Amino acid sequence: MSAPPVTASSTRTARPAEPSKAKATLVWIALLVIFGGAAFLSNARWSQITGVFTDGWRYLELMLEGLVQNPFAEPWSGYWTLAIEKMLESVYMAWVGTLIGALISIPFGFLAARNVAGPVTVQLTRAVLNLIRAVPELVFAIIIMLPIFGFGPVAGTVALGVGAVGTLGKLTAEALEGIDPGPVEAARASGARRLSVLRWAYWSQVLPEVVAFWLYRFEINIRASAVLGIIGAGGVGQLLGQLFGQREWEQIGITLAVIIAVTLMVDAISGGIRHRIIAGSGSGAKATEEETASL
Amino acid sequence: MSAAAPTAPASRVVRPRKPRPSRLLIGGLVVAAAFTWWAGHSLGFSLRPLIENWSNGWVVIEQFLHPQWSFVWRVREAWVETIAIAIVASGVGVILGLVFAFMASRVTDRSTGLFRATRWFLSVLRSLPDIAYVLIFVALVGIGSLAGILALILFNIGIAAKLTSETIDAVDSGPLEAADASGAGTWARARWAVMPQITPNYLSYCLYIFELNIRSSVVIGIAGGGGIGQVINVQFSRFEYENVAAITVALFVVVLLIDQLSQYLRRRFV
Repeated sequence: MSAPPVTASSTRTARPAEPSKAKATLVWIALLVIFGGAAFLSNARWSQITGVFTDGWRYLELMLEGLVQNPFAEPWSGYWTLAIEKMLESVYMAWVGTLIGALISIPFGFLAARNVAGPVTVQLTRAVLNLIRAVPELVFAIIIMLPIFGFGPVAGTVALGVGAVGTLGKLTAEALEGIDPGPVEAARASGARRLSVLRWAYWSQVLPEVVAFWLYRFEINIRASAVLGIIGAGGVGQLLGQLFGQREWEQIGITLAVIIAVTLMVDAISGGIRHRIIAGSGSGAKATEEETASL
Repeated sequence: MSAAAPTAPASRVVRPRKPRPSRLLIGGLVVAAAFTWWAGHSLGFSLRPLIENWSNGWVVIEQFLHPQWSFVWRVREAWVETIAIAIVASGVGVILGLVFAFMASRVTDRSTGLFRATRWFLSVLRSLPDIAYVLIFVALVGIGSLAGILALILFNIGIAAKLTSETIDAVDSGPLEAADASGAGTWARARWAVMPQITPNYLSYCLYIFELNIRSSVVIGIAGGGGIGQVINVQFSRFEYENVAAITVALFVVVLLIDQLSQYLRRRFV
């Protein structure tokens, strides 16, 4: 082989000195110390982790047992029906909640866009949106919705709606700031009134993107609606809370399977529509072309 | 109208025909409207309580407007616990998530079987809400922060793996070709051709996940996973809304501070 001459020549060229690794090492040590400190300060009873391996298998077996039973015989049919019913309630909550959030977020989005509103309005609106974003839906539900709407899915729905305003408003504002100024100028030049400019020059340009955000938020809200059930605001979370309280592992298995199946299905449909909206925002022929190109 | 256009004098500009709205769009809107009506109907949705029961809500909101600040300091241990839970869970979660990300990208995972299995596993993992994981682990290891940590780890793996594997899919293929040409194995290829390219994005995902974990501490605690959420749950069930208000505001401040910190760190890294 030609290896020996190559190494002979390469020993002659001075190799650049390796950069010092001291800084990287220090960062790693610091991270390890922080991690160790956190593991200690978290008050976690680490010895109980064995429960995951001992009980875990037993419970998993019980859950799977519930799944393989004939779903059309009593009592299993009832479990499946209840789980599907409650999961659908969660989907409804997420849908209506997202819709409420979407409608409220439109004016907020316009007011928070620098190329639409004045600097003071933008700052104020952004502060409100950040505030909403920082407060979890759960807190909205506890503070405002439960006392007003009582326990039940409506409280959860409104909480999801208010919670969605923060992110949707911010994303809408960012989309508005990224538009092409050409149509705006054209509309102004043709003497369009302010409202017409907003509707036909701004809104038309961002509509596909914004609707895609709404759908994406809908997917997120399906998961969030499960959380709200825990405090009694309806949906599949309420059922899960009860079942875990009673340790009904077979029924838990069925409910979790329903949650996974429905979530994956809704994600697939909503994701498909989102891609179609984003890719097919132009004319039909162009859209199909783009789609086949991306396949 | 289009029939009349040709007979019109030439000076008149022929207006292009307005495109007909697509049948797909109309169908979609009709389906969406019907679904909305059906969903609202089965939820018994109505905004009337907002006006009728406003006074009920106002009693609570009024208590919320007088937060008892001293309570925030009294539960300082729960704050430390919340941050510690977030650190441990995001630390373990992002490392495992990185491994799964390499297995879930075509670029680094050349075994079709493993790739499909990882993708499938990750989408199932992501489809369950965080609350379900907390409930499962509370049943397995008892109420306390360990359940919260384990639940968040699973939750974090899902997010970290998804974000990072998408970044891996988009890496520049030059270094990959160089690594392949020099005969690098799967591990060396991942470590030296892919990892340097994704490190800045990956670090910013790590910070994002840490922020998410602080935000979800309320949820974790309410289901029995320890931290500040557990305090909120107890105070809420005792109707001590002044205390809940103080903690909520403090949590907001903590989230903002951590946002600022991670933005600073992100600027340093990226």
